[in-house]
Amino acid sequence: MSTVVKKAINFTLNGEPVTAPEGTVILDAAKRKGVFISNLCSSPKLKPFAACRTCMVETVVDGKKELVYSCTHPVSEGMEVKTETEETDRYNKACLEMLLVEHPLDCPICDKSGVCPLQDNTDALSLYNGRFEIQRRNEPSIKTNPIIEFYLNRCIMCGMCVRICDETQGVQALDYHKRGYKISIGTANEEPLDCEFCGQCVTICPTGALMDLTSQARGLASMFTETETTCNFCSWGCTIKLETKKGQLVRIEGDETFDVGINEGNLCAKGRFGHGMVQNENRLQTPLMNVGGEFKEIGWDEAIRTISERITTTVNRSGPESLAAIGGETLTNEENFLFQKLYREVIGSNQVTNLNHLRAPYINTFQQQCIDSGIVSKPITELEEADVVLMFNTDIPSEYPVAGNSIRKGAIYTGTDILIANPRNVEFRHESRMEVRMTYKPESDAAVANRISRILIEKNLIDTAKAQATLPNYDAFVQSLAKYTSQYTEEATGVSDATLIQAAERLGRNADRFILIGNDVVETGQGEAILSALLNMSLLLHIGGEGSVNIYPPREHCNSQGVNDMGMVPETLPGYQPTHLNQKNLVADLWKNCSQGAIKMLFIAGEDPCHSGKHASMVRDGLQTVPFLVVQDMYMTETARMADIILPTSSYAEKEGTFTNMSRHVQRVAPAVLPEGQSRPDFEIFGDLAQALGKPFTHTSVREVQKEIENAAPSYKGTFPGKKSAQWIPTESGSQPEFAIVEEEAVETSSQDYPMKLITNNHMFHIGSYSHYAKALVDIGPECVAEISYEDSQSMNINSGDTIRIKSETDFLDVPVTVTDRTPPGVVYLPKNWVNVPVNKLRNGHQGLIPVSINKQG
Amino acid sequence: MDTPENENTAEETATEIATEPTPEEKKICMETVYAIMDSFPSRSRRYLIPMMSKIQDKFRFLPEDVIKVVMKELKITRAEIYGVISFYHQFRTTEPGKYIYKLCYGTACFVKGAPIIADKLKEKFNMGQGETDATKLFTLEFASCLGNCGAAPMAIIGDDTYGTIDPEKTIEIANNYTL
Repeated sequence: MSTVVKKAINFTLNGEPVTAPEGTVILDAAKRKGVFISNLCSSPKLKPFAACRTCMVETVVDGKKELVYSCTHPVSEGMEVKTETEETDRYNKACLEMLLVEHPLDCPICDKSGVCPLQDNTDALSLYNGRFEIQRRNEPSIKTNPIIEFYLNRCIMCGMCVRICDETQGVQALDYHKRGYKISIGTANEEPLDCEFCGQCVTICPTGALMDLTSQARGLASMFTETETTCNFCSWGCTIKLETKKGQLVRIEGDETFDVGINEGNLCAKGRFGHGMVQNENRLQTPLMNVGGEFKEIGWDEAIRTISERITTTVNRSGPESLAAIGGETLTNEENFLFQKLYREVIGSNQVTNLNHLRAPYINTFQQQCIDSGIVSKPITELEEADVVLMFNTDIPSEYPVAGNSIRKGAIYTGTDILIANPRNVEFRHESRMEVRMTYKPESDAAVANRISRILIEKNLIDTAKAQATLPNYDAFVQSLAKYTSQYTEEATGVSDATLIQAAERLGRNADRFILIGNDVVETGQGEAILSALLNMSLLLHIGGEGSVNIYPPREHCNSQGVNDMGMVPETLPGYQPTHLNQKNLVADLWKNCSQGAIKMLFIAGEDPCHSGKHASMVRDGLQTVPFLVVQDMYMTETARMADIILPTSSYAEKEGTFTNMSRHVQRVAPAVLPEGQSRPDFEIFGDLAQALGKPFTHTSVREVQKEIENAAPSYKGTFPGKKSAQWIPTESGSQPEFAIVEEEAVETSSQDYPMKLITNNHMFHIGSYSHYAKALVDIGPECVAEISYEDSQSMNINSGDTIRIKSETDFLDVPVTVTDRTPPGVVYLPKNWVNVPVNKLRNGHQGLIPVSINKQG
Repeated sequence: MDTPENENTAEETATEIATEPTPEEKKICMETVYAIMDSFPSRSRRYLIPMMSKIQDKFRFLPEDVIKVVMKELKITRAEIYGVISFYHQFRTTEPGKYIYKLCYGTACFVKGAPIIADKLKEKFNMGQGETDATKLFTLEFASCLGNCGAAPMAIIGDDTYGTIDPEKTIEIANNYTL
């Protein structure tokens, strides 16, 4: 809740007494009361606009009658509202009738037919016989971009697309053009759309003037079968509707129903247009066995038998700890649970991990420290009611696009203040009154956070006495801040102290604070120090400040949180319970142990470490050396090519389960289509393996496994089956508030040969390497393009469109480049999602940002 | 025909700069834009329309490069700025002819033969409504009513008013104007 409380207003609606918070418009108040008022251009997500003029109601205030538009007119004390009077109906009908003069009634081939507010309103106002001569426009549809079609003949100029593009998405790619009869919606001069391709305009368009070109079927969308499920791309965890027709996944839509999911129907390009990866001809169809370097199709029985026999022999010969597993960040909770159960209980090996944990084991520690310190963090649905949001090293429109939607909404309705700390000058358009930008030097993240902590203490912006009394290592912490003087920090980070003071002052005030941390902090190689610094800052605010602090660990994929919760880590069992298997932790250094022979068998579920592993040559070497490699995946990835046996698995649209998002919301995954080919859900595969190994699992359904999870991980109690998207709350918290003091590592000074730093993360339209199987996403994000600053482009005489060679100590890549003001001088930015541009080969184990040199090619 | 020669020289220079900019001239041209923007209290979107009017007064139209600078400085998007430009007819995004040929299309002038004059102009200069002839001498605009119905049909070319014209006379008058 925001710290500002709204007054309650009493008024009457059609004679009945109603109460609503101050500032509520009549239309919204009536909607909540279940009273229908015709309208076409209002949405709870958008500011009042009054374009369609069909929502007139009669009000009486102090005996004075007035006809007002209910979508813009707020309720006032003692107001008497009457809807559907003879007079208002006359006005509303006339306006709608005029819209129908131009609107084509091509309903059978319209995507909105059946879910069309224009149809509903026409019916509600009983407008069956128009008085006017029909004058249809007949303009060709505009298909100049691969995703969104403009068929403006159906447009009723409600401006919903223009407003959502502006207010919710902050992109403003659409606007009204010309005026009078010639007025139209679109881009400047009808140029091809160049935007974030979130598709919000398609969902919000009430009439089908904007259509989803990726949709596999046209018309009567209301007849498609809808399955509510959770998106499988980033860890924000949006609720989506998978729409199918005759067993085909046709398209994905947002669900704007009140109180469904965490995203209010907002989606991004990936979530909305990434359905091409489900029913795809490149999917693996049958189990494959590597026979002398070639893959031979085999049956499931043979595959399961071979694997189980191999497991038994390996256990007998080298002991259970020689078998390791990598859990999937895109597998469901239930599947990961069974995977670790298979390893721990059936095989007896504790060597389980996941790529996120392998790379940054300190994230789980950070999460536990937050909980121990009593910072439990609210559900992410309350982000739109935040008073201040700190986006720390996260490029929100690329990393969590839908978080951006909530923050922008907060900026408009709650008055959220926005703090952005990032080494890149990332774009984030919003309507907040206050934005503090801390564009710091690469790898100086921790210094920024630590300096803010020091300012909080020095300037007494928080109750320091209380913090000192509550926190045992307060003095040690204060001492550790000694080096962050204004002068030192200014030099180290390049951010002026005045800016940091401004940020600290805003954070110090009584507020609901939300801190979103980007996965980029992991890339800096200083992740542990940065997360600790942020934790310490949050702890100061939590103990010494008023209001709340909400801080979420950085998670990358849809179930990066769940895979850790489910115990796919060597340190803890599901629910972060201590493990009883007293084995040496071989997976902490997995690749080395594979290469050196300590690990004899590796089982990878749904991951491609060849592409995403941080130490390319070591991963490759490990995978080549390990005697037996099983890979479960939907596609033939680079890792799968090195496997002995490949098992085809089902996509998220073909299986049942739950994902846990980065703010710990457990949300349902539901099947919408039948599995492709002979592929099977990982859930069943693990069950079959347990059976083949002679220790069958007792469960018979996903629901039973969920019950098992609830028992094993008490914090998950009551969250299943995930339809309510409830957040799991730790059973115990605040037991041990303490600062985590981690020294910042010295940043490598740039060498003569490699003077620049390479920042890499997910592209706006891609995540991992699996989004490339969705054709629509490749259409909008076809090519890996590096970004450099204007200053560097001048000094090196490089122009946008040139090809540059990015060279690190270990490898080089040739990529096209563009010059932007997002990237600061001395930095090259390169998205990491293209398999043909293997960024991790440049890294090859290097911990921090990769030192590189660039020069122009050709 | 006394064309205000000296007034046009300034305009002409501006046009040349805007159409064929050498790198140095381009810099000067942008400096003018920045100077205009600085004459307002702040570089805020609230001054977009007066800013663009002033810029157009200087350049006679809004060149693409200038629009880009305004977009960047006022932090508005392409769709928005073109939304404003296309709403107001007086904003031009293409270079107009040296003289604006305002042909009155009010009721009186229409009845008295404005369309025939328009046809003649089309025949002679190959320019329709809103178009510029090949030599960039005239840009033809139809005006709603220029308030001189007594002298219908009438036209305003540059700053000069001509009443009771006819197709033949139109060509004669037009011939008085040169680049």
